[in-house]
Amino acid sequence: MNASPPTEPFTDNLVHFARYLRTRGLPVTSETAADLLRAALIVGLDNPEDAFHALRAVTITRPDHQLVFNEAWELFFGSGRSPRAPKLDTIEFQTWRRNPTLRVIAPTSAEASDDDAAEPKEVAEQMGGSYSERLAGKDFTELTPEEQEEVRRIMARMIWQPAETLGRRWEPARSGYRPDLRRTLRNLVGSKADLLPLAFVAPRPRRRPLLVVADVSGSMERYVEMLLYFIHAARGKLGRLEAFVFATHLTRITRQVRHRDPRIALSQISAAVNDWSGGTRIGESLETFNREWSRRVVRGGPIALIISDGWDRGDPDVLRKQMGIFSRSVHRVIWLNPLAGRPGFAPETRGMQAALPFVDDFLPAANLRDLREVIRTLESVPGHRRPRPVGGDAHGSPPFSRGIPTS
Amino acid sequence: MIPSSVDQVSEAFTSRDYIADRSLAVTVHLALELGRPLFLEGEAGVGKTEVAKVLAAVLDEPLIRLQCYEGLDANHALYEWDYARQMLAIRLLEVKGEGAKADVADIMSREYLVARPLLQAVEAAATGRRPVLLIDELDRADEEFEAYLLEFLSDFQVTIPEIGTIRAATAPVVVVTSNRTREIHDALKRRCIYHWIDYPTFERETAIVHRKIPGISAELAAELARAMERLRTMDLFKPPGVAETLDWAASLAVLGSARLSPEVADSTLGVILKYQEDIERVRTTGVERLLTAG
Repeated sequence: MNASPPTEPFTDNLVHFARYLRTRGLPVTSETAADLLRAALIVGLDNPEDAFHALRAVTITRPDHQLVFNEAWELFFGSGRSPRAPKLDTIEFQTWRRNPTLRVIAPTSAEASDDDAAEPKEVAEQMGGSYSERLAGKDFTELTPEEQEEVRRIMARMIWQPAETLGRRWEPARSGYRPDLRRTLRNLVGSKADLLPLAFVAPRPRRRPLLVVADVSGSMERYVEMLLYFIHAARGKLGRLEAFVFATHLTRITRQVRHRDPRIALSQISAAVNDWSGGTRIGESLETFNREWSRRVVRGGPIALIISDGWDRGDPDVLRKQMGIFSRSVHRVIWLNPLAGRPGFAPETRGMQAALPFVDDFLPAANLRDLREVIRTLESVPGHRRPRPVGGDAHGSPPFSRGIPTS
Repeated sequence: MIPSSVDQVSEAFTSRDYIADRSLAVTVHLALELGRPLFLEGEAGVGKTEVAKVLAAVLDEPLIRLQCYEGLDANHALYEWDYARQMLAIRLLEVKGEGAKADVADIMSREYLVARPLLQAVEAAATGRRPVLLIDELDRADEEFEAYLLEFLSDFQVTIPEIGTIRAATAPVVVVTSNRTREIHDALKRRCIYHWIDYPTFERETAIVHRKIPGISAELAAELARAMERLRTMDLFKPPGVAETLDWAASLAVLGSARLSPEVADSTLGVILKYQEDIERVRTTGVERLLTAG
């Protein structure tokens, strides 16, 4: 090992390399630059392949970084150039950002929402007046901009007490479940008691995570915005929230939803999704979910909320099959259909027909009152699952809790 | 023996029947030299856990394994008091009727402590050894545990209020694996040397089968590796890993099949595919497709 003084072109090169990687979104810190140098000194630079693997191992932290790293490597050291190649100062450091030409859902009112937080809480949940009552029952598509603003404000303050399940962690309890020897002994030390007062532990309750898969295709257009606000309101009031949207294909929006400000969250979501108002392929989107995301984000028995009107351009067989897999990987499937509350509605679209056998609750979601009902349903989710139909040949009628018009 | 170059790592692994590709050998060498944890990610069954086992064998050090699961907490990862023995000791003191103060300290001593994997690793490392600590399937543990581990991995020390701090003299060799059922926090990964273990190439898989299942014919090993290569491009819900290839080879050996015919493959699909949907998918495309050369 011969440590190079930092003025050497090679060291400079590595620093540039590290900076470049950072502009490409890799988690590079100033420490990483030092790691790069150390790694290079350990494996040596005579074998470019080894150097490549070594430098890569200290810079990336996930598989999709590999591609970015490979490109950067090619740019700096590629095409037979040795890692010792003279300093490159010709590279332009540009920020790589997604082209924001996509449609942004414009906030319907320019009024900022932050000052609302100061208002007393009762106003939100107290729906006494006839105005509020009318508002709660009014279809989202018929709201005036001012009313939308009001509804959003109410949504942000709705109280969620989602169902809990028993976790696998333990917490001290007054009585009963399992003796806590650690605490028992600790209490005993120093006390003069003759009896051994047992301390207990019980499983710590934990909230089920919520998994939202929302349809943002053309037919849902007039409801999407308000429903996304609703999802945003759920964030922070539940344990964990994973969210996806789809039209022709699936996009994960979990990170975007996490933004505190709903308007910014929404505009980030619209920037991330590039098939707004496209056709609908529910089955294919669910297939993507099942294959690529299910095992990564479905932990702890989540409650799944599918938001869609069920208008599907895809193959109903695919949808049926994928709904089967999906419903077996989550604790409960709640389907929200904005059209379900309309008089005379029946879930007759091919997509709805294919999906229904796998749905536990089928609920309308066209106004504030409906969404209250959704929250109540979330609160009353039982701890046990009903058995799922297996495979793609289930046609039996499911035991819905409510919502399906009997005809 | 501590391998002191990438080539030596490669050779040492091969001699223990682990055919590592170059990038893995480089990463292992780097982790050993830098004294940093090795973070291995990849689909189930590509040989992540095996790396730790082989590493322990190569270094001739004990392998200390912490299997992660939901709800894993410090009591199970670090240490626990041996309450039953402590209580007996208390009773004994009472019977003897001896003075209490000093004895209470005795009861909270190392003698009554049950060391769990993390403490075991630190204690072994405190004596100057470099044990291999395998933290397996970290993605199964909760975020709380991950945060705890962050601290452990930077200091390699354990503080027990009643006893004091036990510090590792040298950092243990740590291998963390994840099946990526969820994303591990970047802060933890950044402390580690990261490596994504991919499915092996055709040549490497053939070599692995040869090494691990002695007596298998070259044709059969190649047939299996080729079938696997095809299966992994089929968009299956759970593509089979190397572990499945080896299971398959072993099953064929049990059945006495010298070649992989469509019939044999069809009747043994359950060895390599674990989802009904995947088996269906392979059957509808035709098992023969997996086997034809070219």
